[in-house]
Amino acid sequence: MNQEHPAPPPPLAEVSLPVQLGRLSLPNPILVASGTFGYAREMQHLVALDRLGGILPKTVTRQPRPGNAPWRTAETAAGLLNAIGLDNDGIDAFIAHHLPYLCGLGPPVLVSIAGRNPPEFVEMAEQLDAQPGVAGLELNISCPNVTGGVDYGTSASACQQLVAAVRQRCQLPICVKLTPNVTRIADVARGACDGGADAISLINTVLGMAVDWRRRRPLLGNVVGGLSGPAIKPIALRCVYQVAQAVETPVIGIGGIATIDDVMEFLVAGATAVQIGTANYYDPTVTMRLLDALPGALREAGVSSVSELVGTLETSRG
Amino acid sequence: MMPNPLHASHYPDAALHQRVNIVENVRIAQATYRLRFACPELAARILPGQFLMLRLERNDPLIGRAFALYQTVLSETGEPWGIDVVYLVKGKFTRELVNCPPGQSLMVWGPLGNGFPADPIEHLVLVAGGIGQTPFLPLAAEFLGKRRYGQPARTVPPARRVSLCYGARTADLLAGVEDFQALGVELHLATDDGSRGHPGLVPDVLRPLLERPELPLRVVACGPEVMLQAVAKLTSTWGVSCQVSLETPMACGIGICFSCVTRVKDDRGDWDWKRTCVEGPVFDARRIAW
Ligand SMILES: Cc1cc2nc3c(=O)[nH]c(=O)nc-3n(C[C@H](O)[C@H](O)[C@H](O)COP(=O)(O)OP(=O)(O)OC[C@H]3O[C@@H](n4cnc5c(N)ncnc54)[C@H](O)[C@@H]3O)c2cc1C
Ligand SMILES: Cc1cc2nc3c(=O)[nH]c(=O)nc-3n(C[C@H](O)[C@H](O)[C@H](O)COP(=O)(O)O)c2cc1C
Ligand code: FES
Repeated sequence: MNQEHPAPPPPLAEVSLPVQLGRLSLPNPILVASGTFGYAREMQHLVALDRLGGILPKTVTRQPRPGNAPWRTAETAAGLLNAIGLDNDGIDAFIAHHLPYLCGLGPPVLVSIAGRNPPEFVEMAEQLDAQPGVAGLELNISCPNVTGGVDYGTSASACQQLVAAVRQRCQLPICVKLTPNVTRIADVARGACDGGADAISLINTVLGMAVDWRRRRPLLGNVVGGLSGPAIKPIALRCVYQVAQAVETPVIGIGGIATIDDVMEFLVAGATAVQIGTANYYDPTVTMRLLDALPGALREAGVSSVSELVGTLETSRG
Repeated sequence: MMPNPLHASHYPDAALHQRVNIVENVRIAQATYRLRFACPELAARILPGQFLMLRLERNDPLIGRAFALYQTVLSETGEPWGIDVVYLVKGKFTRELVNCPPGQSLMVWGPLGNGFPADPIEHLVLVAGGIGQTPFLPLAAEFLGKRRYGQPARTVPPARRVSLCYGARTADLLAGVEDFQALGVELHLATDDGSRGHPGLVPDVLRPLLERPELPLRVVACGPEVMLQAVAKLTSTWGVSCQVSLETPMACGIGICFSCVTRVKDDRGDWDWKRTCVEGPVFDARRIAW
């Protein structure tokens, strides 16, 4: 067939990707999750880092932590169990060696911190507040692999007090990362909002374990660990939905996101942005593919901005 | 114990993430197959001892698996266009891989890790147990002056001898012996059941080479940890330098998950967990805190 004069394609409708999470502005809603992207430097030749909506380096603690003994990960059906144990060099080394690099990349850098008690959180928040280039904090009160790692993520009042204490002493926007391993996640989220959180990040890993029955041994050195990957996506979607229904504060969806359909499902369920975690391990350039596909998917949804789609889920429950 | 040093030496700075097509997937020994796929850029870059992550585009198994470079495949004009890996059918991934026909696609990322150093040596002794022979074919080819690797191709002063001490449970599991023979590698085989070579373990066939060295030698070992430990002990007794290539379980291969850790000693003898994928997989045996 003669195709000398094909009809010009219809002009593509402009779609707007920037999103706002409280005081935090992001260029687009595709971020990388803490602990699943190293310190970004590892990825600089595989991924165009400047395209990301935000970068969350691996959680830092006040003091260096060696982390748990191997095995630190074990694969399960469509999932990955991990018990890394917050292996990191401590905040001073992080500020000296990783932060300058991260802050030079372009995307907002949200530094994930985990303290053993409120004073440690506050101290780290103050230290980071004094650093130029940090866009915000993510309080990791949901790590299942360290003692006391979830204490502030399982009680609404403890969560509120912690967030308020940090907020009082630090100007940076604050995301609070919650664990799904609670009975009523919306209650804990309300605590975080009352404390002054700019956004709620949902979810950290789901507590699980794997067993080698022949050797009668657990597969993880730490016996139990956190499940991530596609296996937990329904749990994450449920948490995002419940929290988005309960609070006004924006939600960042995390858990098993690997395809553009996953991203769109989280936005519809109520997430304003998403973080990509385990998918970075098994599909290192996944974030670039999602960014390529996002404008088209938004057009297909008939919206001209990300925020227009957020929380548009229709349920017959009214 | 020391805090982690901040920067690993071998981030995946030359790595590519590509969908490639399987060209061949053939049995070469008991439960052992050679997989060939087309990937010219990767083949041009990779060094002996470096590895690749392979994954089928499905959610079970979810995570990629690491495989050593077995050999690059050259065109008639000598241009690298493909890569061979040799795998033992063991669990979730390899049981799926064995059923993948030519033409099927596969995701691959690499080259990863440090690879073997090119330091000159007159007698290179390769020590392999189980499926640990796989990284040694390109190293032998390089040290015998038959092949060059890397972009630009690195230069290795030829060794006068390359020996392979290689052990497996039984003769049928010895895979690729003819490939080493064809290069001119001296073979010292061992099998647990005595069905081929020396009846017994690999260190038995290594020991005579260390006891009566005819040339300055270096040992490079890959295989089960018990064997690596025995080889490390033996070489340190004889004052021979030894490198080990570790097969620590990996989830990403690129340094972002911190799961592939192994205990590595620093100059003062303190140890810390190091990521095998970006600090190894090849280490000086004296630095491993077994
Ligand atoms: C650098 C490097 C190079 C490698 N090169 C080769 C190669 O050239 N050829 C080759 O055949 N293999 C190689 N391997 C091993 C390979 O990556 C796979 O581990 C192997 O193929 C088994 O995968 P599978 O899915 O078939 O088995 P799996 O289903 O993963 O399990 C196989 C066995 O591994 C053990 N296992 C399962 N989970 C864990 C865990 N979390 N931690 C530790 N052990 C676990 C169990 O005992 C299980 O029986 C290499 C590994 C590394 C790190
Ligand atoms: C190996 C591994 C390490 C992780 N480390 C951290 C961490 O240091 N801090 C944190 O807040 N979350 C950490 N997480 C949790 C992820 O950020 C994410 O919340 C979780 O894995 C669910 O998302 P996913 O299914 O997309 O991975 C880690 C997850 C994995 C798998
Ligand atoms: S395998 Fe992920 S850090 Fe080495």
